[in-house]
Amino acid sequence: MSTLHVDHLSSGEGDEDAYRLAEAESMTPWETHATLDVVGHGHARLEGPEKVTGNARYAYDVRLPGQLYAKVLRSPHPHARVKRVDTSRATALPGVHAVISGEDAPEIPFYENTVLFERTVRYQGDEVAAVAAETEDIAADALRLIGVEYEPLPFVVDLEAALRPGAPNVHADGNVAGEPKEYERGDVEAGLREADEVIEHMFTTQVALHNCLEPHGCTAIWDGDQLTLWESTQSVFTVREQVAEKLDLPEHHVRVIKHHMGGGFGSKQIAWKQSVIAALLARRASRPVQLMLDREAENLAAGNRNPTQQRVRIGAKRDGTLTAIDVRIHQAVGAYMVGGEGSNTTGIYQGLYRCPNVRTEQIGVFINTGPAVAFRAPGYVEGAFGLETAMDELARRLEMDPLDLRLKNYTGEDQVEGKPYTLPDGLRHCYDRATRAFGWRGYERPPNNGAKRRGVGIAAHSWMGGSGHPPGYAWIKLNTDGSVEIITGTQDIGTGARTGLAQVAAEELGVPLDQVAFHLGDTANGPYAPASAGSATQATIGPALRAAALDAKRQLLEAAAQFLEEPVARLSVGDGKIHVEGEPDERATPIAAVTGSIAPHMIQGQGARGPNPKDKTVRTFGVQCVEVEVDVETGEVTVLRVVAAHDCGRIINPKLVDSQVIGGVTQGIGYALTEERVVDAASGIVLNANLEEYKVPTVSDIPPIQNAHVDMPDPEANTTGAKGIGEPPVIPTAPAIGNAIYDAVGIRLHDLPLSRPRLLMAMESGKGEEARA
Amino acid sequence: MSMRAFAYQRPASVDDAIALLGTSGASGSTRLLGGGTDLLTLMKADLVAPDRLVDVKRLGDFPDTIEVTAEGLVLGGRATLADVETHELVGQLYPALSDAAGSAATPQLRNMATVAGNLLQRPRCWYFRNARFDCWLKGGDDCPAREGENQLHALFAGSPCVAVHPSDLASALLALDATVRIRGPHGERAVPMAAFFAQPTDDRRTETTVHADELVLSVTVPPLADGARNIYLKAMDRKVWAFALAGAAVSLRIDDGKIANARVVLGAVAPVPWRCEAAERALNGSEPRDEVFASAADAALEGATPLTHNAYKVPLAKGLIRRALASLTDEASRLVSA
Repeated sequence: MSTLHVDHLSSGEGDEDAYRLAEAESMTPWETHATLDVVGHGHARLEGPEKVTGNARYAYDVRLPGQLYAKVLRSPHPHARVKRVDTSRATALPGVHAVISGEDAPEIPFYENTVLFERTVRYQGDEVAAVAAETEDIAADALRLIGVEYEPLPFVVDLEAALRPGAPNVHADGNVAGEPKEYERGDVEAGLREADEVIEHMFTTQVALHNCLEPHGCTAIWDGDQLTLWESTQSVFTVREQVAEKLDLPEHHVRVIKHHMGGGFGSKQIAWKQSVIAALLARRASRPVQLMLDREAENLAAGNRNPTQQRVRIGAKRDGTLTAIDVRIHQAVGAYMVGGEGSNTTGIYQGLYRCPNVRTEQIGVFINTGPAVAFRAPGYVEGAFGLETAMDELARRLEMDPLDLRLKNYTGEDQVEGKPYTLPDGLRHCYDRATRAFGWRGYERPPNNGAKRRGVGIAAHSWMGGSGHPPGYAWIKLNTDGSVEIITGTQDIGTGARTGLAQVAAEELGVPLDQVAFHLGDTANGPYAPASAGSATQATIGPALRAAALDAKRQLLEAAAQFLEEPVARLSVGDGKIHVEGEPDERATPIAAVTGSIAPHMIQGQGARGPNPKDKTVRTFGVQCVEVEVDVETGEVTVLRVVAAHDCGRIINPKLVDSQVIGGVTQGIGYALTEERVVDAASGIVLNANLEEYKVPTVSDIPPIQNAHVDMPDPEANTTGAKGIGEPPVIPTAPAIGNAIYDAVGIRLHDLPLSRPRLLMAMESGKGEEARA
Repeated sequence: MSMRAFAYQRPASVDDAIALLGTSGASGSTRLLGGGTDLLTLMKADLVAPDRLVDVKRLGDFPDTIEVTAEGLVLGGRATLADVETHELVGQLYPALSDAAGSAATPQLRNMATVAGNLLQRPRCWYFRNARFDCWLKGGDDCPAREGENQLHALFAGSPCVAVHPSDLASALLALDATVRIRGPHGERAVPMAAFFAQPTDDRRTETTVHADELVLSVTVPPLADGARNIYLKAMDRKVWAFALAGAAVSLRIDDGKIANARVVLGAVAPVPWRCEAAERALNGSEPRDEVFASAADAALEGATPLTHNAYKVPLAKGLIRRALASLTDEASRLVSA
């Protein structure tokens, strides 16, 4: 961590030697029970007024003189050879300024050893050609004029079918994607022999679509050989690096900007093909080109949550002690591994419970559908459904309260790495907070209301994200009028990161929040920050900002010492003023007086995020309790309430945490009950790449969601004690709902979504009769 | 998806509109534009590409009123679903209609969608709606849903097509024995709801018997008899904004403690609103008891031929019928005295 020290500064005198770089002494974390002025308060989002007045600028809002609009022609086939592309009629259409296809595009390497416009298309939606025209309608007309000769090839769109011998190959060397991930500790077979009860099931989870409100896309602008991309992305630096590489440009010739974003959920952390296509079209047309995906393209070709098949065996002693966990998971990655998929489906099996004998295997499988990518807690959401459903089933078998079974197998250690967690009681507090707020222990089932039955369910998780992804950097400027500017290359992907981060800086600096402006999401105006993925933003950039603020504060106090003729040791900053020890607050000096006194010198603090601890593991944890009502006559499931307790370390802003919890649970309810991409097996065509038949929950589907705050600073995690909360709330929702359905009607569904048709068929076949006697 | 270019015309009267339809000849490439909630989606999906749209949404002689007259309830073809949903007398006398209209789509769509357009809307079958499938209903040879993803499809189908009719209102109107007034180049005709809808045939691959040069002017629901009551129940896979997995419209009368004039219609189980006469026979003359409701529900689904993924609709439809019957005969609030 490099910081600036300022020994002395005075107005009007340039003294460059006053600045010197030095290693900052390590910062002390805020104490667990510290009373903080700005941090911990539910400040409204800084960007709120911009958003509610419609002034917030998204990638789609860019409008420049001469701007063109681009559309992509996508393969109608799941697998085909592109024999010929005739773009002559499209090129001739008035209003069309540029057309590109495999016939004339540079052979830019892209995923899986393919190129930008690959001569073999591998899923419905794969890019074949693109046009840029004066309006979107002209671009659409131009696409209709492009003639493509395809030679259809055998295809496979189903995970199970792709594994069968003789299945069509998605890629030349077969359908296994990458190396299987294997893990083992102890002796699983011995553990199973030792068990009094063994639960064994195949669980399946569906393809879920991110459905960000704002689709993927960008506006590309060339100024000479300088490219600017206004991009909807979770990582401006990743897009810069990848686009520069694809276009063979030095990184400083590419600038990526993202001010506001309507959601990414993991699907926007790489440079997708459309960013490179937009740049190529803009260069050909010598005009700015905007290329935003429509909803269909978004749902075909911009990522999805991989479907899984999980063969699970769990063994336990009569008293509930786990003796073995064994899982083998197949998951479809789609037609390409595009990077950023990183779905660690077996992780939750390895770590959530204390168990000496664990074996996991995860095998990726190619199929002829759009590529899977990270989706809010990738892998853990899928894995949690299998593990936490099986645990519930085990508890029933052992006639234990599902909560007690979980507590019985509690662990405060990272059993994979053999290290303790920084917060070994984090999950225990989540159990405690969630079940108390819900009334789990004393729950009394109301009498049946006609055909309606009530039930409750619980599920837990630990998540590898939320710990921060160092390094990351931040700068702070104190303007001569005392106002503060934060500059960092991170991004606010819709979570309100600006506000939570500004609170950290304001706290350390000792200024009120309204004195702070925030600049982010621009590779040309701010130091490096990692992708806003893995619930990393607050936990990475928060400490960097705190360091930058400390650095700025040190300079400020050094300047104030000269201005006030007091030793630094007697000075402190609070509420935007310099206070002298022992003197009444009303005699405090506004920061502006000090910063003004050194004008035009300016205080500039720099901060960096140090590494995560080496000897301990940082994790986030969570527990959710759900109450449902099931109509046994019509199969209707109504989620009545959800109580969520999630450990995210110190809560910087309770309002922002609430909104992540509510959003995550909402997405979890959709995943549990209604969301599923449907592909026609005979044609390989996606049938519901839309928001009509891909059913996300509506406001009427969402019950009261109570966030039972777990405000437990994790001071060993980083100097702010805060961890991420973006992803975790989606993890335990689906199994908690499934467990509640079982509790209500005695039907155990092992396949997601827990749809009305599935439940009706299960009830029809009388599977649930024995349960709720 | 973007639409193709088209001409737009706003005529002065219903007859002018019909005349404009006539001039488009056999190609049928002039279409009437009402609320546009179905037509525009068909155009955006590139399923229809009319050369010309004739906007009838503001025509003064195209009724947009809802009136209770001596002939019964008259719903103007240009009235919106929101009008039907919120009309006070409709809610009191014909809760099946207000519930059906109110359970359709979203408030925004109900504010635009018209009664006429609702009856004329095309199926939501995801093969039909996807231009990449040349399905039978669009003039192709086969129905890809029969062996495909047919979880939303028909239990009863009399043609190669297994799409279901998407309208909630249509089921309720059929249960209430409504009549449709249609105007064409040669004047008006009145068509009972039962004849208005018809399973598509090789020569007529649509769900209605309306001709391309006709306009649906209004719908009349006959006055209610003493003791008459009605209900519409809809099952969706989320709470709102979804087409029905199944719908049940029931109207009946309690006469001397017995069920009379029962009409049971299922929605989303056939290419047209599906009247269940066997269920009606099981009800008429019987006392309203759970066993009677159950046997009526069973009778309604007799002959159902589930496809590979939609067998759940059988217990679902039965459940809806039983519940509709139970709540119709339970609730005093549903009683209507004429």
